Amino acid sequence: MKRRLNYTGRKKIKRENVSINFIRQNGAVVAFAVNKIDLNDLNLPLDSRVYVEANYRTELRRFDFGTAGSVSNPSPCDLRGMAYPENLKFRILVVDTSDGKLLAHADRISPEEPAAKKPILPVEFSDLGNEIWQVKYEGDEGSPILIINSRIPNIQNIAKQDAQFLVYVYPQVIREVLTDMVFVDGVDSTTEPSTDWNGDWLNFIRQLGVEFPETLNKDDENFSKEDALNWINDSVQAFCNTHSSKFQEYIKKLEETP
Amino acid sequence: MINLRFMLPEGEQKFREYIHNLKTNPLCQCPDLNSEPFSKEFSSVISIDETRKFNSKQELAEYLQNCFTGADLKREGVLPQNGMWTWLAYIWFEQLTNQRRNILKREEHYICTTPSNFRRYYIHLVAPLYAIYSLHNLPFSMLFLYNPPWEINDFTERVAATQFLISHENIVEAIYKLYFDSQRGQPKRGAQSITRRGNIRRFVSAIQQFELTYDIYTMSADGILNLLPPEFNEWKR
Repeated sequence: MKRRLNYTGRKKIKRENVSINFIRQNGAVVAFAVNKIDLNDLNLPLDSRVYVEANYRTELRRFDFGTAGSVSNPSPCDLRGMAYPENLKFRILVVDTSDGKLLAHADRISPEEPAAKKPILPVEFSDLGNEIWQVKYEGDEGSPILIINSRIPNIQNIAKQDAQFLVYVYPQVIREVLTDMVFVDGVDSTTEPSTDWNGDWLNFIRQLGVEFPETLNKDDENFSKEDALNWINDSVQAFCNTHSSKFQEYIKKLEETP
Repeated sequence: MINLRFMLPEGEQKFREYIHNLKTNPLCQCPDLNSEPFSKEFSSVISIDETRKFNSKQELAEYLQNCFTGADLKREGVLPQNGMWTWLAYIWFEQLTNQRRNILKREEHYICTTPSNFRRYYIHLVAPLYAIYSLHNLPFSMLFLYNPPWEINDFTERVAATQFLISHENIVEAIYKLYFDSQRGQPKRGAQSITRRGNIRRFVSAIQQFELTYDIYTMSADGILNLLPPEFNEWKR
């Protein structure tokens, strides 16, 4: 888990207190509008400056939103001229202008209208020697990418449709990702994790109807290794149950094989 | 000269197979992917010289900048074109591999990966050169562009991997002031050494700490240098 020290008492702007939307023209993102920045409960100096930044990769643009005492709203904020507008994330900063220190902060805010539906587990095909698959944690913020061996003939179709491949590979991939998330990287919060991909995966598991343990944060004193492992097992099982037709298809194929 | 094209999925797969085959058969023939269904014309206005030799990444970046600006193609219009970057790596593949003597292990050095992702976009041997050059210009982008096109650049690997750093012009200027030896046209000796105090890795760590304490955006490059702890003093000379 990325450790972030906070010696200066920087305050966290909660995500529910920020609301941002993309503005589109002919389907393309051209600007954004801030519908809400609520700083009321943070007790910030009234003259501290408020900024909103849009960023992705090499791209960064800052917008001045006045002061904490009088937040102005220059919306719509023009994003034309920025590459990758669909991928932009937003950062809110409140700055003490006397010494340039950050007083409050929210990072990696996504616009409420999802820019584009993205898979939680992108798949890539690459030469893996004699291995069939690997998970690499090299996506955004170290998110998982499933790498499947491109040396296997017709693998792109097999990976999408073949029942045997699906029942053998995907449950283990899910087990690996959840185990990594909990025991290697660490999940700091199940409701508002600081890493976006953790949030996406937790939502995915939630949608499977799996009950969560009290905490998945291995640094929390209430963390239980047994509960976390049970949660992972329950999640894998729920996934398999959701795709039971593939299991049946696989069994049927075996039974039909002379 | 050939009109600028972009690689289609079928061409990308052929290119991938070619790179893979070279590992076992260094003499295997490069497939011709300059026609459909492998690639498609991106612009009839921009001609690319596929035989052009670049002595440095800087020359390559400048060449592309001139091509794009000459055709009024905007930075934001070309950066997201993964297929175009893959095609450019394809037509310059010989020099991007030092005549096949230095074929880098990961295909992402040549293929602009799909799904394109933040952490790996910078390892492509063509796309990030233009992205950094067109954003930071000379001389501040020199640390990322001083070496031959076929070599990995350690500054790109360290700095461009961190969005906060590469997107801030003042941080890139501070890095240039700290680590570039303008006499030699190269990084100062030891700047990339992991054992040397105040090396580029330490700089990245230091700024990542400052990122959540100070409003770096409004600082000058010198202001950022003044924030650095004493281990960086020898680099300021």
